[in-house]
Amino acid sequence: MQCHNPNEEPINQKAEIFANGFWHNNAIFAQLLGMCPLLGVTTSAENGFWMGAATLLALICSNLTVSLIRGAIPANVRIPAYITIIAAFVSIIEMAMNAWMHDMYLVLGLFIPLIVVNCAILGRAEAFASKNTPINSLVDALAMGSGFTFALVLLGGIRELLGQGEVFGFDVFGPSYPDVLMFILPPGAFIALGFILAGVNIINRKMQARKDKKAAALLNMQTAATQTAEVQS
Amino acid sequence: MKIDREQWRMVIALFVVGVVCTLLLATTNIFTRAPIAEAERQALMSALMQVLPEHQNDPIGDTREIMLNGDKKPTSFYFSRNKNNTINAIAWQVTAPDGYNGSIHILMAVHPDGSINAIRVTGHKETPGLGDGITKNQPWLDSFGDKSLGNTHWAVKKDGGDFDQFTGATITPRAVVKAVKKGLEMFAEIKSKLLEKDHQQKEAQHAMP
Repeated sequence: MQCHNPNEEPINQKAEIFANGFWHNNAIFAQLLGMCPLLGVTTSAENGFWMGAATLLALICSNLTVSLIRGAIPANVRIPAYITIIAAFVSIIEMAMNAWMHDMYLVLGLFIPLIVVNCAILGRAEAFASKNTPINSLVDALAMGSGFTFALVLLGGIRELLGQGEVFGFDVFGPSYPDVLMFILPPGAFIALGFILAGVNIINRKMQARKDKKAAALLNMQTAATQTAEVQS
Repeated sequence: MKIDREQWRMVIALFVVGVVCTLLLATTNIFTRAPIAEAERQALMSALMQVLPEHQNDPIGDTREIMLNGDKKPTSFYFSRNKNNTINAIAWQVTAPDGYNGSIHILMAVHPDGSINAIRVTGHKETPGLGDGITKNQPWLDSFGDKSLGNTHWAVKKDGGDFDQFTGATITPRAVVKAVKKGLEMFAEIKSKLLEKDHQQKEAQHAMP
């Protein structure tokens, strides 16, 4: 977990928090949190996007608030306090969507109030915002939320593409494409998610291999240099 | 038992959080109430526009609520009138409780003679790609036009009736056909009550709920 370190260069630290939240510690890919909305609403890329956007907004509000009041909440009652704060923000988002995005509100339905119990949000309040400055918590919320949105849009896009031959409502494969219905249905969500996770693991392994190689090359160079130095002396 | 300072801090912290959150919610509620009502009215309006024939009045303002037998909530009937101010259709919502996946809500508009003008499905959780043909399959929806209790056998073809089922989905259209038929039967029962005394004079008092 990233902790506040005043000696570190600020820009670098923010970038690191972002990379950590968006990719290395991604709510879906790395922590497998928030599965309920992930599998429930991602029948299309658009649904995934708006669900992700609502979660992102809730996460920003809750992280900021929790970070701002982190000195004032006694440790024993912090979880009920956080949940109350999160529930308030989610209800506000729900009412706003009902008022100004009525169609999407009807589509997402019960999954909007369920953002309250998305453990990714309480998890960030507890693990990050309660121990870090408001600015860093905001960066963390942006990273976590956009990482979550990215995962939802990716899964929704894949399911929409395979299930209906469309992405964001645009026809991709043409009218002759035989819709693979299964990807719109719940089993398709699990199968597509499995392949996405496999892909993420491959990418992570490649990245790790490259890092190891670099480290090994550096080490080799150093040993070679010392050896040469020894030989020369 | 004595409450020490630490415990008081907990009580006060939770109390303050609760009060502030409640105030925030109350404020949001005040600001969103009108837009939410407007959004719901818009949604109802666009659904009504799809089922009603050409009309000169505002059907949402031209409404009558009737308590039907066995229902807990009254049903709203929306009246559509032509140029001469005569009723050319009445629309109301029916619910098919026996969809493949929960209830299906249908808005149906019927001419005063008991034949259907059009129906639309306004809410359902049927399987995408199979059962959701009830919202997407326009020819199927159009096949309800001008059907009445007398001129139609109200069942899907599989059950020997006049309405198509979909490939891979029989339960969903069956539920819709059954619900619309029940709606027509109900209409035949209360038609005299609904149409005999034109309610328009009383309308001014409780036009908008």
